[in-house]
Amino acid sequence: MVRPEARLLRGFAVGAAVALTLAACGGGGTSSNSPGAGTSNTPTAGGTIYILTQAEQWDQVDPQRIYTGEDLAFFGGTVQRSLTAYKFSADAKEGTSVVPDLATDTGTHNDNATQWSFTLRDGVTWQDGAPVTCEDVKYGVSRTFATDVINQGPTYAIAYLNIPSDKDGSSSYKGPYKKTGQDLFDKAVTCDGNKITFNLNKPVPDFNYTVTLGFSPVRQADDKGEKYGQPGSLVVSDGPYMVESYSTGNGGKMVMVRNPKWNKASDPIRPAYPDKWEVDFGVDPKVMDQRLMASAGNDQFAIQYGNIQPENLATIFTDTEHTTAKFNGRAVSGFDPYSRYYWINVNKVKNVKIRQAMAVALDRQAIRLNIGGAFAGDFADGVIKPNIGQDYAATGLWDSLLGEKVPDNGDPDFAKKLIQDSGEAAPKLTFDFPDTPTNGKTAAIVISSLGKAGITVTPNPIEPGQYYSVVFDPQKGHEFGTGGWGADWPNASTVIPPLFTQKGGWDLSQLDDAAFNQKVEAAQTELDRAKQATAWQDLNKEAAQNMYVIPTFFGLSQTLAGTKVAPIYRWPAYGSWPYGEMYVKS
Amino acid sequence: MVAVPSAEAAGFQGEAQAQTSGRSLRQIVWARLSRDRVAMVCFVILVFMYLTAVFGPIVAGIFDISPYTLHSALISDLGGKPIGAWGGISWAHPLGIEWGTGRDIFAQLLFGLRISLVIATSATLITVALGTVIGIIAGYTGGWTDNIIGRFMDLVLAFPFLLIILALSGPLTQRLTQIGVPDGNPSRILYLILVLSVFGWPYLARIVRGQVLSLREREFVEAAVAMGAGKRRILFTEILPNLWAPILVYATLTLPAYIGLEAALSFLGVGVLPPETTFGAMLANSVAYFDVVPTYLFIPGTVLVVLVVSFNLLGDALRDALDPKAIH
Repeated sequence: MVRPEARLLRGFAVGAAVALTLAACGGGGTSSNSPGAGTSNTPTAGGTIYILTQAEQWDQVDPQRIYTGEDLAFFGGTVQRSLTAYKFSADAKEGTSVVPDLATDTGTHNDNATQWSFTLRDGVTWQDGAPVTCEDVKYGVSRTFATDVINQGPTYAIAYLNIPSDKDGSSSYKGPYKKTGQDLFDKAVTCDGNKITFNLNKPVPDFNYTVTLGFSPVRQADDKGEKYGQPGSLVVSDGPYMVESYSTGNGGKMVMVRNPKWNKASDPIRPAYPDKWEVDFGVDPKVMDQRLMASAGNDQFAIQYGNIQPENLATIFTDTEHTTAKFNGRAVSGFDPYSRYYWINVNKVKNVKIRQAMAVALDRQAIRLNIGGAFAGDFADGVIKPNIGQDYAATGLWDSLLGEKVPDNGDPDFAKKLIQDSGEAAPKLTFDFPDTPTNGKTAAIVISSLGKAGITVTPNPIEPGQYYSVVFDPQKGHEFGTGGWGADWPNASTVIPPLFTQKGGWDLSQLDDAAFNQKVEAAQTELDRAKQATAWQDLNKEAAQNMYVIPTFFGLSQTLAGTKVAPIYRWPAYGSWPYGEMYVKS
Repeated sequence: MVAVPSAEAAGFQGEAQAQTSGRSLRQIVWARLSRDRVAMVCFVILVFMYLTAVFGPIVAGIFDISPYTLHSALISDLGGKPIGAWGGISWAHPLGIEWGTGRDIFAQLLFGLRISLVIATSATLITVALGTVIGIIAGYTGGWTDNIIGRFMDLVLAFPFLLIILALSGPLTQRLTQIGVPDGNPSRILYLILVLSVFGWPYLARIVRGQVLSLREREFVEAAVAMGAGKRRILFTEILPNLWAPILVYATLTLPAYIGLEAALSFLGVGVLPPETTFGAMLANSVAYFDVVPTYLFIPGTVLVVLVVSFNLLGDALRDALDPKAIH
C-alpha cells in the first residue's frame, strides 16, 4: 500500500526519500492511456479541477519541506517554480528529462562537476509583482540548513554544498534564522546579478536534477519559519496560480486561483489551463472511489489523490493495463515510486547462503496475491526499478543468479539445499512488519513458505507509526522485515547509496562493507553517465546476489479521475498526475 | 463446581429430609429452564460450539481443510478476490476462502472459536473466583477492610481500561515472556485473560458483597457463629452456597461480554499473532471488502453474534429460573 508507506517513510527523521521516478519501462505496468484520447480533445482554458484526498491537510506546503512525489508534482505545477523541472510527458524518457524553469538553461558546470551555475530568467515575478531574484533562490536554499525549523524535507543542499561539518556531523551553517556560519554559506552559494553558483563538496554530475528538490526560491520577507505555507501564513506564489484560502481537517479545502502577475512568456513549461484548483480534504477512501466511479456533479471534474481501493480494481480494470469500457480514459495504472523488498540484517544473518535460502523459499506469488495480485506490482529482480531509465538492467536474479531458476512461489527443496551448503542449521528468525490486517496475512505466508524449507519464523507486528524507528534500532530490529524505497530522481545515486551504505540513511540491512562502500563512492563521482549507469547496474546485481535485501515487487498503483478531466496518464517524473498540464474537457 | 446445595440447606439443614415434596434448587431451576424453549435452544447451540471448538482440528480433518493452507490458485491475480460467487464458497470450502490468501474461512472459524472460548472462559473463571472471594471478604468483614476494598474497587472501575489494555499490551506481554511464559501467542493469550479478569472482577465483587451484607445477619449464620464455627467455615460453607445463583447468572452474562471484548481487542490489533486468527482478526481482515465479498464479513460476524446472543439469552433464562419473581 503506497500511501501508508509514504507516510511511514516521511515519519522517520532520516532523509526520507519518497519522491520520484521516472521512466516507465517498455515491459511492465505502464500508463493505460486510452488510445482514443487526444483525438477529440484539444485543451481548453477555464473551469475548476477538484482534487479529492483522504488526508486532512497537506503534510507540507513549504518548498523546502515538501518531499513526496505527488505533492512535488502538484505544487510544482501550480505555485512553486524551481531552477529546473521535469517535462510534462507520458513518455518514459521525455517525462523524466529536466528542462529549464526559473533558469534559462539546465545548468552549466566546471570540468569535474563541483561547481554548478544557473542563470535566472527575466520577467519571473512573485504574486505581488516583485521580481524573483537570485537572492530569493539563495535564501530558499539556506532554509534547508535550519534543520531545527525546516525539518522532514530533502537535505541535498546540506549533503552537497561545500560547507564544513561540525564534530557531531551536522553542518557548520545553522540556517538563516540563527545565522551561525553565514559566511560559509555565502561562499558556497554566490549571486552574480542573475546568475547563481553552487560550490559543491564533491563531483555531482546530476546536480541539475538535485535542484528540483528543495532548491526553490523563498523571499526572506515572506518567510514565517516553520509556519510558512500553513493556514494563516499561506505560501507566496511565483507560479501560474496562487493560494486563495487553506483550511485543514475533515471538510477542509485549499483553493487556488490564477496569479494575475504570472507572466506566461516567462514560463515555457506550464500551460495553466483551469481557472481554479480546489483540494477537498478528509474524503473517506471508499466514498472517494464511489464518487469518482459515479462521476456526477463536480466530481466530473475531480481527480483522485491516492489510490483506488483494492476491492474496486477488478471493476475498473480488465488487467493491469486496460480499463473496462465504462472507465475508459479516466483510470490509470502505472509504476508508483517504490521498490519493495524484505531487508535482511546482515549482522544477524551473516551467512549469505542462509540469506539466499530465505529468498528462495519465499512464496512471492502468494504475497503478491495478498496485496492485490498483478495490480500490486511486478516481481522485482533488484532494488533499482525499471522506470529509473538507463540505470536499470535486468539482474537475472530469479533466473540464474542463484544457480537455479527460482519460481515465483518459492522452491523449498532448493532452499534446503542452500541451507545444507551453508554449513549451518536451519535458522530461527523473527519477521518485523507494520501491524495491519494485510501485513498480518503476509506474515502468515512468510511463516508458512519459509517453514517448508525448515526455517522457523516468529512474527513481530510493530505499531505502524513506529515501524521504521523500531527496525532501525539495532537492539529492537530483528533478522528481517518489510521495507520500501523510491528514487529521488532518475539516477541510482538516490537508490544504491541510501540503501546499502551506513551514510546513506536507509540502510535497513545494517550493511557496512568496505569494498562495497568503495565501489559506491566510485560510481557516485563518475562523470561519464554511461559508465556510471553500468556501475549502478553491477552494484544492483551484486546486492541482489548477496541478498542484502530480498527484492519483492516493483510497485504499481492505480488511480481514477472524473469524466471531464484530461490528460489521464502517470507522469513518470513523480509517478503522479501531470498537474501542470491538466485541463477541464469542454 | 455445580455442587449447589439444597435450598433447605440454607436454613433447615439436618432438620427436614422432606423427601416427598422437597426438590433441590438445582432440580427446580433445571425444571424451569427445560420448559423455556429459547433457553434450551441456546443451551444446545452453546454445547455444540464448545464441542466443535474442543474437537476443532478433528472437524477440520474430516472436512480436509486447514486454516493455514494457502490456496493461491483460487484467488484472482487481479486484486486478490476469491474466484467464484459468495467469496469462493464451494464443496471444498463450505464457507468460502479468505481474500488475498485463499485460506479456508470455515477452518479459520473453527480455530478462532477455540482461542476465543479459551480466553473468554478462562477470564470468566478467574473473574468469578476473584470477585467472589474478595466480595465475601469485604461484605463479611466490614469496617476498614470493607472500606479499603471498596475504594480499591472504585479505583479499578474508574480506570479507562480499554485504553490501558491497548497501551500496555506491548510492555506487559514482554514482561510475561520475561517471567517464563513462552514468547508469542501463549503470552499474548495469557495477557488478554489477565487484563480481562483484573478489570472485570469488581462488578461481581460488588454484587457478592451486597448479598453477603444481608446474608451475614441471617439466623443460620448467627447460629453458626453461636456454635463457635470458624470464620472460614462461616464464609465458605454457610454463606458461599447461597451466592451461587447470582454468581452463575453473572458468569453467563460475563462470558459473552468477554467474547465480544476479545473480538474488539483483536480487531484493534491486541490479539493473537498470525497465522493464528480469531473472530476479531477475521472481522478486521474483512471490513475492507464488505461491499464486494459480504460473506467474508457476515460469516464470522454471524457466528459471533449467535454465540454472544446464546449466552445472553441463556443467562437471562437462568436468572428467571433462579428468581421467578423478578420482573423485567
